[in-house]
Amino acid sequence: MNKRILSVGMAALAVAGLTLGATGCASTKKLTIAFVMGAESDPFFQAMKVGATAEAKAEGVDLIWQGDPSHYDVATQVPIVDNVIAQKPDGLVLIPTDPTGLQASSDKAVAAGIAVANVDTHTADTSKAIITITGDNADGGAKAADAIAGAIGYTAGKSYQVVVGLTSATATTNVGRYDGFKAQVKSKYPGIKIVDVAYSAANPQTANSNVNNWLTKYPNLSGIFAIDGTNASGAAAALQAKNLVGKIALVGYDAYPANVDLLKQGVFTALIAQDPAEEARLAIKTLVDYIKNGTKPSSHDVVIANVTLDKNTSDADFTKYTYVATN
Amino acid sequence: MGNSIQEGQELSFLDKVKASFRNQSTLLVVTLVILAVIFQIASEGIFLSVGTLGTVLNDWGSYILLAVAQTFVVITGGIDLSVGSTVSLSSVVAGWVLVKGMGLDTSISGDAALPYVLIATLVCLLVGLAVGALNAFLINVLKIVPFIATLATMGAMAGMAIIISGGMPLQGPNDFNLGIAYNVFGVELPISSTILTVLIITVIAGLYLHKTRFGLYTYSLGSNPFATRAAGISPARHITKVYMLSGGLAGLAGAYAYIRLGAGSPSNGAGMELYAIAATVIGGVSLMGGVGRIVGVALGTLVLFTVQSGLLMVKVVEVSPSLKQVIVAILIAAAVAVQTLQKNGRK
Amino acid sequence: MANKVIYEVRNVSKNYGAVVALDGASLKLHAGEVVGLVGDNGAGKSTLVKVLSGAHSPDSGEILLEGVTKVWHNPKQALDEGIETLYQDSGLAQHLTVSQNVFLGREKFLKGIFGKLGFLARKQMELEAEADLQAVGIAFPSSNRPVSQLSGGQRQAVAIGRAVSWARKVLILDEPTNHLGARQSGEVLEVIKRAKKKGLGVIFISHTLPHVLEVTDRIVVLRLGKIVRDAPTSEYTADTLIGTITGSYHGDEN
Repeated sequence: MNKRILSVGMAALAVAGLTLGATGCASTKKLTIAFVMGAESDPFFQAMKVGATAEAKAEGVDLIWQGDPSHYDVATQVPIVDNVIAQKPDGLVLIPTDPTGLQASSDKAVAAGIAVANVDTHTADTSKAIITITGDNADGGAKAADAIAGAIGYTAGKSYQVVVGLTSATATTNVGRYDGFKAQVKSKYPGIKIVDVAYSAANPQTANSNVNNWLTKYPNLSGIFAIDGTNASGAAAALQAKNLVGKIALVGYDAYPANVDLLKQGVFTALIAQDPAEEARLAIKTLVDYIKNGTKPSSHDVVIANVTLDKNTSDADFTKYTYVATN
Repeated sequence: MGNSIQEGQELSFLDKVKASFRNQSTLLVVTLVILAVIFQIASEGIFLSVGTLGTVLNDWGSYILLAVAQTFVVITGGIDLSVGSTVSLSSVVAGWVLVKGMGLDTSISGDAALPYVLIATLVCLLVGLAVGALNAFLINVLKIVPFIATLATMGAMAGMAIIISGGMPLQGPNDFNLGIAYNVFGVELPISSTILTVLIITVIAGLYLHKTRFGLYTYSLGSNPFATRAAGISPARHITKVYMLSGGLAGLAGAYAYIRLGAGSPSNGAGMELYAIAATVIGGVSLMGGVGRIVGVALGTLVLFTVQSGLLMVKVVEVSPSLKQVIVAILIAAAVAVQTLQKNGRK
Repeated sequence: MANKVIYEVRNVSKNYGAVVALDGASLKLHAGEVVGLVGDNGAGKSTLVKVLSGAHSPDSGEILLEGVTKVWHNPKQALDEGIETLYQDSGLAQHLTVSQNVFLGREKFLKGIFGKLGFLARKQMELEAEADLQAVGIAFPSSNRPVSQLSGGQRQAVAIGRAVSWARKVLILDEPTNHLGARQSGEVLEVIKRAKKKGLGVIFISHTLPHVLEVTDRIVVLRLGKIVRDAPTSEYTADTLIGTITGSYHGDEN
């Protein structure tokens, strides 16, 4: 940074204290990209931070990483975004917690000359965003259905009982995955019957009780779809405690190192993994390209597919998809 | 008894007092029986099974230590909102010590895992005591009311748990023997050594609350802090002990969660404080302080988780998960209403 | 009065912010003497009681017990030295039983290992509480009943009985006949007379002037934080006492 400033000489130093437009001085000033995510506590965003930090370093830009410590909530996110806009970054990667609630903040950023990218979720009107990148939850749900069908040796004409552990009725990731799961079961595996769902309210011990009760209620249970990390933890412990590992198919979500460990031990039949780091990398790269060179991405809406991890997955892929903590 | 000039009217009055003390527990036992019958019918005969009872007792084990902790604190006239976060933090710290600190091989199981389980329990207890000491400091020294002080700790400890774990679960020793039921004469009892340990702790806590000076001061502080101080007792010192007890019990609940799940996750204690408070209220503890018994709280916790499991076992009608929340809320409101009626009846 | 001075304050003052609650008050209490402390609301009676009981420290002045200077940091120190105080309206924990209240802060433990672990000798304390209250001469309800179940008069009886049975040197009673009927007030006054016979120094604070005139040996009148008159009870009449309290009567010079 010092070399660069020295090379542009006294003239640049004279205006260094002033606020500069993104276009005028792109080549003389280190770019700043702000990244406002949903909730720091979510491992998903932790993994995203890893990707964002790496990409920011590779591109040589400063990263402002912001978001509520634990609440995925529009009420706390709006002031955070407004505060970030006031810092006048060159680009803003926004994970809106609500499509309409964050529209005004997003528009404000665009009006201030800040390039905006949406990741994971998006605002109602995406036309002013440079790019919209989403993980495909419905696709993840469908992949979970495929994994369960494969594990139980699905044969047409037979009937199977399957349950789904959810966190709440409204969490958007839950809804997307569950819808994708249901649709896939309906079209491809009509013999599979989703006999029950229950909520964990984000506590793995509650998820554990739900699975324990299902094991009593459905003695012939074939499979469990644990829709997120919380449900995956609770379900894995339940099958281990009752010595049912391998007897009931368990498909979980999120490639926490602990879950990947359990997959390798055979407790999970399969894990559906997102690639949050890739989403973050792509968002930052796209913004930097746009700010520096004015190039827009070839596609405005990008979907990053989920992947299925199971016993056939290569070590390289395990390394690639396992979430890494930032500490 | 005694030489009171009002001996005649006293016996009947005394009986009334005794009856009102018995009431909450009797009421809860009756409630349990009624619930068991309803769920047995609605589940088409599977509710009263070893499997369901095991799940109910497992949940009871997860929450009773927090409910007991809350009982002590609420009787002093305070509240401890930080117990859920303490569960999360202590199980995460235990996971961190075992996995990152001691390089635990997560595939070990059985007797080989027992020393690690004991270390984890000790770590959890220490973390809990530290959180309790912090709460006491905020309340005694900085003079912050318990609701706000423990609300602050609740947020801070949840944050710490995320920072330490990176937001992901840390694995534990794979010893689910602790969760396996005893087999007596070929009948599998829905009781594990973990739950048995928790039960013993609960009984000891009950004896301490009802039979010792520590318990007496707990009641007197919630009943009349001025009289307690006038009697030469230091309220600050007792508050420190009570909040450290609460933290310590929450830490043990963290160990329970860690053992139960085989994972120390920052969400292990999510929302548990509200269930713990609900269980104490259903068990007959007054949020105004000075009133409550451990037997009632133990039964109240059992009622709460009988309902939780029972609603999932229902087969004859579809109970949506959202409706479950409404039913639990109605149960809590009913418990408070009964308390108020009992109190008014006594006056 | 032939008896020795048992408790004394010299020139004590206490301010709460800008409010002067007590302004250079001095008071002597002899063993076997009942001193009445009277004054209008805000005259400084409660503050003086708190200084005497160890609940508040004075800003200046001296406290002497049997001629020895004392500094109370908390009520416990005064209690341990034999000074018992019955506070106005707030002496008991309502959710505890009679015996638990009588023994609060002075519990008896079981013998052996359980006692070491903090387990209380409940039965023993119940019996002793009954005996103590009986010795004080108060009609009392059975000692294992919660105080919340008692009438106002019964509560006051327990509170007074508690203070009297524990007091070794000084007994301070702040409005002990408040809210009591005539018969119960009479019982309380009898208790005070018996405490005097036992050789205790008693400070009796009350608004009910006939009670003060009946039971005290000496009456100290406080006004605006100052002691305006300290004289044997025989030198007051009901009218001059009221006059001294309100400031309309100026005693000897008239």
